[in-house]
Amino acid sequence: MKNISGKVFKKIKDNNIIPKPRWYFITKNYFIWSIFGISIILGSFAFGMVLFIIKQLDWDIYHYIGDSFLKTVFVNLPYLWLIFLILFTGVTYYNFIHTKRGYRFKFISILLISLIISIILGTGLYFNGFSERLENVFSEKIPYYNRLVYSCEEQWMKPERGLLAGTIIEIGFPENNFILMDLDNNRWKIEASKVIWKGKITPATGLKIKLIGKLINDNNFEAMEIRPWQQGQGRFMMGGNR
Amino acid sequence: MVTSSECINKTDEQIVILTLKNQDYYLCLMKRYETKLLNYILKISNISREDAEDILQEVFIKAYQNLNDFDLNFKFSNWIYSIAHNTTISAFRKKKVRPQTVSWEDKDLNNILESTLDAENTSLHKLTYKQILKIINQLPLKYKDVLILKFMEGKDYQEISDILHKPMGTIATLINRAKKSLKQGLEKEDIKF
Repeated sequence: MKNISGKVFKKIKDNNIIPKPRWYFITKNYFIWSIFGISIILGSFAFGMVLFIIKQLDWDIYHYIGDSFLKTVFVNLPYLWLIFLILFTGVTYYNFIHTKRGYRFKFISILLISLIISIILGTGLYFNGFSERLENVFSEKIPYYNRLVYSCEEQWMKPERGLLAGTIIEIGFPENNFILMDLDNNRWKIEASKVIWKGKITPATGLKIKLIGKLINDNNFEAMEIRPWQQGQGRFMMGGNR
Repeated sequence: MVTSSECINKTDEQIVILTLKNQDYYLCLMKRYETKLLNYILKISNISREDAEDILQEVFIKAYQNLNDFDLNFKFSNWIYSIAHNTTISAFRKKKVRPQTVSWEDKDLNNILESTLDAENTSLHKLTYKQILKIINQLPLKYKDVLILKFMEGKDYQEISDILHKPMGTIATLINRAKKSLKQGLEKEDIKF
C-alpha cells in the first residue's frame, strides 16, 4: 500500500487546508433546530385551524342536502389546513433527522411525536381563541381564502332544499322579517316569525347568517332556524357580530 | 513533527482534540485508520484499489475539514467510517469509480457464512469461493453494507447505526434480511455444507 496518510498530510499542508471553524457547525445546528421548532409551531397553527374550521361546520345539514354523512364529512374537511399540517410535519421530520442524533429515531416515532406536539399546541391555540383570530385575519386579508377553505359555502346556497346564507341588509319589514343579500348577491325577503335564533346572536344589519327553512317563491324564504355564519361569532372577534 | 510514539497511549478522541491544536497529530489518526478504511471501501464498493485509495484520500481530507463537527460523545471510529461510507456511495453514484471484483479474505467469508447458516464448520475449501463471492457482491448495497460492518469490521448494532445513520431497529432488520438473502442465494446456486 502506498503511504496514503503521508500523501494526504502533505496535501493538507501544501494546500493550507484547515478545519472549518466550530461556529460554522454551531450555527448550522442552531439553524436546523430553529427550522424544526418553527415547523412544529406552524404545524400547531395548522392543527388549530383544522379544529376551528371543523367546529364551524354544520355536520347536521347533510339530510337537507340529500348526501350521506360520510360524503358530507369528505366534502367539508378543511383540506387546505390539513395539507399544511402534513407539510409542516414533513418539514419537522426532515429537520429532526438532520440533527446530530436524529437518525437514531424511527420514522414513525418522529412523525407521531411531532404530530402529537402539533395537536397539543394546536388545541391550546384553538381554546385560547388564537385560531379564530387567525381565521378572521386570513378571511379578511387573503383573497379567495374562504372559497379555498370553506368548500361548504355552496352547500348553503340551495334554497330549494331549505338552505340559504347571506348578510342581513334591512330589518323589520314587517316585524320579524328582514331582507337578506345572499352569497350570490341576490335579495331575499325572509319571513322569520317562527324562527329559532341559534348561537347567541340577535338580528342586526350586516350580520352574516345561515338559514334553514323553506322556499316560498322566487325571492321569498321562510326561515325556521338561523345560525351565525361562524360558530361562536362575536366571542373572540373585536368587532362583535358581523 | 509528532512521532507515532506520542500517540500510542492516546485514544482517538484525545488525538482529535490535539489535532485541533496541532495538525501534525492528524497523521497519527490517519495511520490508525488507513488500512481499515481502505479495506472497508474496497469491500462495500467492488472498485479497484487505485480508486479506493483516491476515495480514502477524499475521506481523510473531508474528516479533517469537518473535525470541529465531531462530537466527543460519539466514537471517532464510527464517525470516520460514516464519512468513508458516504464518500464511497457518493463516488459510486457519480460513477467516478470503476467496479471490479475484489478478493476477500477467507476468514471474512467464513464469518458471514457461519452467522448466516448457523454452522460452525463452513470451511471454505469445500465451497466454491468465487460463487459465494459472486452472491455476496450481488446483494443490494444496503445488505452488503451491514454484513460487512457486522461480521468483518466487528461493529455492534449501535456502532452500525451511527455509521449508516439509521435507527438500531432498522439495522437489526437489515441484518436479518441480508442473511436471508445470502442464504437464498447460496441455495439457488446449490451450495451446500
